[in-house]
Amino acid sequence: MSSRFGYVKNDSVLHRLNPVLKLLALIILMVGIIVYPSWQLSIALLLIVFIGFRIARVPVRLTKGRTRFVIIFSVLLLLVQVLVTTNGTLIGFIVPQIGDFGPHFPITDFGVVRGLAIASRFLLLIFSSMLFVSVTDPTLLAHSLTRLRIPYRYSFSLVIALRFLPLFDLENHTVRMAQKSRGITPEVTGLRKIIRTVQYTFFPLLVSALSRVDSLSMSMDGRGFGYSTDRSYLRNSSWRTTDTLVAFLTVCFLAVCVLLATGHLPQIAQFI
Amino acid sequence: MLEARNLTFSYDDTAPVLDSLSFQIKRGEVVVITGATGSGKSTLAKCLSGFIPKSVQGDFSGSVLIDDSDIAELDIAEVARKVALVQQDPESQICTLQVSDEVAFGPENYATEVEEVSALVDSSLKSVGSEHLYDRATFELSGGEKQRIIIASMTACKPDFLILDEPSSSLDPLGVLQLRQIMKELRDQSIGVIVIEHNLSTVQPVADRVLTLADGRIQPFSTPEPEPPMQTSSRVSVDSISSLVAAKNLKFSYGNRKVIDNVTLGLQGGEIVGLMGNNGSGKTTLLGLLGGLLTPDSGMISFKDYPLGKMKSKEIAHQAATVFQNPNHQIFEKTVWNEQILTLKSLELDTSDMLERCRISLERAGLTGLHQRNPFSLSHGQKRRLNVSSIIVHNPDILLLDEPFIGQDAEGREFIKETVIETVERGGTALIVTHDPSFVRTYCNRVIFMENGSILLDGPPSSVLKQLENIGYKEYADLGVEP
Repeated sequence: MSSRFGYVKNDSVLHRLNPVLKLLALIILMVGIIVYPSWQLSIALLLIVFIGFRIARVPVRLTKGRTRFVIIFSVLLLLVQVLVTTNGTLIGFIVPQIGDFGPHFPITDFGVVRGLAIASRFLLLIFSSMLFVSVTDPTLLAHSLTRLRIPYRYSFSLVIALRFLPLFDLENHTVRMAQKSRGITPEVTGLRKIIRTVQYTFFPLLVSALSRVDSLSMSMDGRGFGYSTDRSYLRNSSWRTTDTLVAFLTVCFLAVCVLLATGHLPQIAQFI
Repeated sequence: MLEARNLTFSYDDTAPVLDSLSFQIKRGEVVVITGATGSGKSTLAKCLSGFIPKSVQGDFSGSVLIDDSDIAELDIAEVARKVALVQQDPESQICTLQVSDEVAFGPENYATEVEEVSALVDSSLKSVGSEHLYDRATFELSGGEKQRIIIASMTACKPDFLILDEPSSSLDPLGVLQLRQIMKELRDQSIGVIVIEHNLSTVQPVADRVLTLADGRIQPFSTPEPEPPMQTSSRVSVDSISSLVAAKNLKFSYGNRKVIDNVTLGLQGGEIVGLMGNNGSGKTTLLGLLGGLLTPDSGMISFKDYPLGKMKSKEIAHQAATVFQNPNHQIFEKTVWNEQILTLKSLELDTSDMLERCRISLERAGLTGLHQRNPFSLSHGQKRRLNVSSIIVHNPDILLLDEPFIGQDAEGREFIKETVIETVERGGTALIVTHDPSFVRTYCNRVIFMENGSILLDGPPSSVLKQLENIGYKEYADLGVEP
């Protein structure tokens, strides 16, 4: 069993924000750093996200394995950019000159900046999404999406995805244990072995998922899901003054990113 | 009244699963339907709740009537307001993250006024004794709590009839007692209850009628002949054989949650050990640790005095075989035969002698003639027998079985019991997670009872079950299934 992904019930300002606003803020955050891909801006936003975790009093749920994956993937993103970007001011070489050998693989300041921008953007994407999932009640999200006239059949697919995410995570862990008990070790030396490894993990997970989908759809149909175009909600999402303020700040953020990207704020651009 | 009239159904136009079946149930009646694996009990449940023929394809004839009105004229959502179906696995039926949302889900879909939804949630939770769970997250609940919440979510839609498909399969003895109480409550509310159950003794005390489904038809129930207890002489003397598995001061946590706390135990050759305890007491995790599938936070495990930590996973698989709770989790191949020989291949033991043993083992498991079938298409009971058959052909000394008898009919139980007895007669050992005191009394040399990740009791079955009665776990000694 691994650390559970998903909503963490709490009473904080981030939990109380309107769910659709949180979803839009997440999307705008991503759009902002794509429009203005500065590593300083991404790092600053990443710090704000970590402050968000503290404010919301939710733990950063990463197991050792996942932490290792996130770090290795970020470093790989950085290294690939450093290797493939040759323009910019030369800082040094990955393989220095030793006698007649080298130097090879130049490192440029532009390559490092691009690498940092992409790696920090990846980290921001991971952690901001985790924060969103941790502080957003899926049922209230479904309700607020329905108020935007999105049919509840679609908004509930989000609720179900968030409900089953930890379960499939757990099943993946169980299947790996079952493989180990049969003496099966994941092998990646050769295409046949890769296919077999994928098959041994994918088959049981797929069958389990399909049987759950079958049970779930019967259970939902058996409780009148889709009976009419409207449904009532025991718990409703609301819109408060704080939501208006956060919505205003989010729009301002996007506007600043656009202005920075188009060179209209050179005084700020020299810092971020 | 709910009435099935001349129901016939087959999935593929071949042998009918249900064959001109007829029966009736009144409101306020509790009827238990039992029968062998594959006898069509779940199919009957789907017919009565309208999913067959509306959602499941097949050749259907006959009719299901509620107060003389044919449900064929209603859509699923309308049928569901009259006949609700609670399926076997509660985990797969929960679609929201909070208990109150789950119970409100049905009334909300029928666009019930919010005040009424609120009242229905309160009354439904109260009827299953779960008002205290109102604000709880659904993923935090135990198996029994999930079962009760799903029943409440169905009764919140105010059905006249409720069908429970194998409701006791994931419950510990305390959960079974609570289930009986819920069935009585439902009867008092004039809801007709149909319980489909292998494990008859768990629900029979509250049943008004017991029926058997066999050969596609409802037949009068006859009490099965009790099995003779195992001959004492076939139990191997434990004292004469050395310790196969030893665990010392084991500790294990999932994140901050301590699951195994300072467990020390030894399993000797010739022993069948029953592992009991409430849901969540750490039994499955202990099995994972002893099978080398999980690594303890601290403590040591050894096989025949050799530390598990120094063994390669294939060496461990050679000596220890584990059967998991869900049969789907340990099926990997596309045909029954390939699945049967998978462990041999991965351990490089697939000699002609061993392959012959595979054939014999499949025959004993009742899977002859199914060699080329996709194992995922087998019934639950057949899959479980394939699981067991495929892990024992290389004669592992240590069997670790997690609730192996769930969903098994008498034939399946017999195969699993024979496998266990053969292993211990060879000098091996078996640790079996079970909630079944009659199995424990008849077959086990020893019982371990766990509470909150620690071993509370460890000793001969009669002594442990007696002590359980004295310390407030009376239900473990009282409840039981056919051994």
